[in-house]
Amino acid sequence: MDEAFEPRIVAFVCNWCTYTGADLAGTSRLPMASNVRVIRLPCTGRIDPLFILKAFDRGADGVIVSGCHPADCHYTAGNYHARRRFAVFRDLLEFVGVDPRRVTFSWVSASEGAKWRDVVNDTVATVRELGPFTAWRELAPADATARAGER
Amino acid sequence: MKELQELARELLAGGEVRLVVGWEDGRRGARPAFVRDPDDAGRLIFDNRCVHNLATYLDPRRDHLAGPGRIALVVKGCDTLAVAGLLREHQVTREDLVLIGVRCGGVLETPDLPAPQPLTPETVAPRCHDCPVREPRLFDHVVGEPLPAPPQPAVTLDQRVAELEALPLEERWAFWRDQFAKCVRCHACRQVCPLCICERCVAEKTRPQWIDPAPHPRGTVNWNLTRALHLAGRCVGCGECERFCPVGIPLSLLNRKLQLVVKERFDHVPSDDPAQPAPIGEYRLDDREEFIR
Amino acid sequence: MSRIGVFVCHCGENIARTVDTAAVAAALREHPGVAFATDYRYMCSDPGQALIKEAIAEHGLTGVVVAACSPHMHEATFRRACQQAGLNPYLCEMANIREQCSWVHDDREAATAKAIDLARTIVEKVKRNRPLDIIRIPVTRRALVVGGGVAGIQAALDIADGGHEVVLVEREPSIGGHMAQLSETFPTLDCSQCILTPRMVEAYQHPRIRLYTYSEVEEVEGYVGNFRVRIRRKARSVDEDLCTGCGDCVAACPSRRTPSEFEAGLAARTAIYVPFPQAVPNVPVIDRAACTRFRAMARGSTKEVCGRCAAACAKGAIDFSQEDAFVTEEVGAIVVATGFSLYHVGREQPPGLKGYGEYGYGEDPDIIDGLQFERLASASGPTGGEIRRPSDGRVPKTVVFVHCVGSRDREKGIPYCSKICCMYTAKHAMLYRHKVHDGRAVAFYMDVRAAGKGYDEFSRRAIEEDGAEYVRGRVSRIFRDGDVLRVWGYDTLSGEQVVVAADMVVLATAVRPQTGARELAQKLGVSTDAHGFVSEAHPKLRPVETSTAGVFVAGACQAPRDIPDSVAMASAAAAKVQALFSHDELEREPVVAVVDESTCVGCMRCATVCPYGAIEQREVCTVDGQVCGHVAYVNPGVCQGCGTCQATCLSKSIELETFTDEQVYGEITALAGWE
Repeated sequence: MDEAFEPRIVAFVCNWCTYTGADLAGTSRLPMASNVRVIRLPCTGRIDPLFILKAFDRGADGVIVSGCHPADCHYTAGNYHARRRFAVFRDLLEFVGVDPRRVTFSWVSASEGAKWRDVVNDTVATVRELGPFTAWRELAPADATARAGER
Repeated sequence: MKELQELARELLAGGEVRLVVGWEDGRRGARPAFVRDPDDAGRLIFDNRCVHNLATYLDPRRDHLAGPGRIALVVKGCDTLAVAGLLREHQVTREDLVLIGVRCGGVLETPDLPAPQPLTPETVAPRCHDCPVREPRLFDHVVGEPLPAPPQPAVTLDQRVAELEALPLEERWAFWRDQFAKCVRCHACRQVCPLCICERCVAEKTRPQWIDPAPHPRGTVNWNLTRALHLAGRCVGCGECERFCPVGIPLSLLNRKLQLVVKERFDHVPSDDPAQPAPIGEYRLDDREEFIR
Repeated sequence: MSRIGVFVCHCGENIARTVDTAAVAAALREHPGVAFATDYRYMCSDPGQALIKEAIAEHGLTGVVVAACSPHMHEATFRRACQQAGLNPYLCEMANIREQCSWVHDDREAATAKAIDLARTIVEKVKRNRPLDIIRIPVTRRALVVGGGVAGIQAALDIADGGHEVVLVEREPSIGGHMAQLSETFPTLDCSQCILTPRMVEAYQHPRIRLYTYSEVEEVEGYVGNFRVRIRRKARSVDEDLCTGCGDCVAACPSRRTPSEFEAGLAARTAIYVPFPQAVPNVPVIDRAACTRFRAMARGSTKEVCGRCAAACAKGAIDFSQEDAFVTEEVGAIVVATGFSLYHVGREQPPGLKGYGEYGYGEDPDIIDGLQFERLASASGPTGGEIRRPSDGRVPKTVVFVHCVGSRDREKGIPYCSKICCMYTAKHAMLYRHKVHDGRAVAFYMDVRAAGKGYDEFSRRAIEEDGAEYVRGRVSRIFRDGDVLRVWGYDTLSGEQVVVAADMVVLATAVRPQTGARELAQKLGVSTDAHGFVSEAHPKLRPVETSTAGVFVAGACQAPRDIPDSVAMASAAAAKVQALFSHDELEREPVVAVVDESTCVGCMRCATVCPYGAIEQREVCTVDGQVCGHVAYVNPGVCQGCGTCQATCLSKSIELETFTDEQVYGEITALAGWE
């Protein structure tokens, strides 16, 4: 693996638990890898597999999906629906040959700043080891508007 | 067959229905039939070439259901699973339909034969394997004699799924990538699927454009994955999508895999009971979450 | 044409130390659609906000992005500033470059690059934001209080005194709850009924309180500000309007063997009964399962048996033909105050709990629980306030009190502390010693939890002034040995086994939610925790709200709680209700889902997943009024904005405002420029 490879990770997180937990990691000044770009959604229930596919299209090497623990969803049931949706999605990805370690699913509560830090660091380490997601990037036509500057 | 034709004649002549949708013999083989005149009821056939899932004609976007009066649909047991799906999703009302169930002994993989052929492990449609509804349960009338069970296919869908799963990840990806690369985005799979009912498919949405419309691999991979996902827990396994695909993508393997996933995770199999909820849209507190940290 | 303004905050050193804020502003200045970008030391300060307002005016900004702390911190601040400058507040968003960037990364280059990325994603989001208005829904300014114990009564009185009508529903024949069963209350040893009954009467007579006793909530529909509640008024078999409370019917009733619920099973009552003399309302109820006449009717007999109560009633108020009646009340807020029940200790337990067979509760009449001791101590109780043991009525000379029976025991399925038992056990020991001067009170304890005002002093008094013996250790077994009960315990401070020959044992049993609490919670759409207590919206900052808007909670139904805290919580819940009612209309954030009727096919999968039941089916008609199909419709008053509907919709025909597909797409694709 290219030693300078820094994986690009997009994180789709729920506002009430994981986003707040990530803020807590900040207030607690827990150092973590800087590869992750967080996109805030109201609930994991809102997170669509289409988002993840699009993130890969746009050059993400890995994706994190994170929300409230079961029974703690601010909207009572959004995470239960997300759980089923993502179970199927992840099994489908694996079936077609995508390494499931490219998508990390987690429950991180508003008080789990340290857990967020661990999810971030572990995901970055895992994806760094997997390498750039060239298999997906190669799907794009040569002249596609993927992104500027090939690594 | 006579029983079916008589019933159709009666229903039309008596004004109970204004249209009977079934199968007939055509130039190439068996094909869907739309009978409106009781005197035409003799056209209707049923044999092991009657592969088509006629539930696709219940889509409210088509005009068969539009207008006053009811329509009759000739359905194999497997087709009733799709009818139940449409009822579940409020696309048709039960009162608008007269379901004529036919007892089935399995079908061939293609309808395009001048006459029915005996079913053998090589010719029988793999999806007929272990069918639990050869005796239809969702019907208003049922016709035909009970037929013997179809032969075991030479290779079952589950065996082919297992073969793929035995391959290492990279080889699996190479296989599917190449299959999807064949896709010309004709969307025949979607057009024929009875459960593809969206007025405006997400693949046609431009604002935003989640799925590239062009047939380059990124577009086709996203399209095929999204379609499989959207059918998870809804697909009844009729195999029409694969039969219609002009470039031979093994869509039934994708669908079968997801059927196995919802069976294993959520204890769900396609049901001919419209009151049975679909698995995606329901949840249990103890759903497995071994993939979530 | 987008003209976004980007404001990058230094936050003093908090951001600027790690992120090159000037570089962020410079990079964003070049971003397509950004008309103005700058950095500043403290954006949330007055001058900082002024910067935004000036830029909006000077540059004709169509949107604002503040790259600073977390939106949880200051989104409201900057939205207010934008609104003051005439820009719709929903066109303002924040990029989090502090909590999720400068505070967690060390590398300046990496942190700056990340800050630029994050700001870009929010710019792309804001380009697609739409101006939105606060949603206003009407409010019915009446409240429903479920439960007529001290918490429910307090909440009802506070709301009614605040000028609003209250419907108070209580399932027992009388209000008062468990507090009415107590003898004296800690830490003052006030007579419980003396302080409660004036409140009960006040609630009964209050012009703005409509009291339904012997009634239950049957069904609840609607949403905050607009609930419709169906209440079942169970048949008392007595006409409340005719009854004068004379008691002749009770005196005439021949069926006298039913264990009295109010007396905690220590005495019997008649089939037609008033639960206690101070009951409010003072109208009896026929227990049809105990009444000779109704039992005969249930067996199919056509003969009219008994009927002595009707014969005794001078007003003709007995009505055997009465049936359950239903009323529907429209209210804008609901307060749940259903209180608690006690862990019943014996071997038979509901799933998830285990009993203490070794304590013999339910097998020996002299092993009682705290509520039963209250009835013994109560002047209006079955023994007239004398401490006499149930088996033979003798005054016990040695009473053992056992703390923590069930509570704090993971093995039994009750890991929590029941909070009130240390205090009431001290009280029981004191009351016993006051009434039986030569009696011996022995209390087996794990800790003494006496955290309230005057509480520690009170519990010390039991030991130091009233001579209660406190043994730190648990009890392993209680069993009958002839005339006494042997209590085997352990004194951890001396390290010795202790065996006490007791005449009576009082178990301080765990506090559990009221029976039927879970079912009621489901009807109200509120969540309960693993133990069945109603869940509060936030344990620290929102203790009297539930996560269902418009439904509040007070008292022991939320967690074990004593009287002062229950009363305080009830007043707090009432204050929340008053706040809800203080507006003509309810204002809600416009984060709601909207259906695109042109593409919706009415499959209603969205309705299936909506946690709030906010989505319904709606017919669509052609121009000449012919019904041609149906689509989904989201009630903006009920929708809480989770977006599960949208992720479930296959054709993406439903969009959640402020988190639309276009906005999320914009955020993802903004990351295309990763370096």
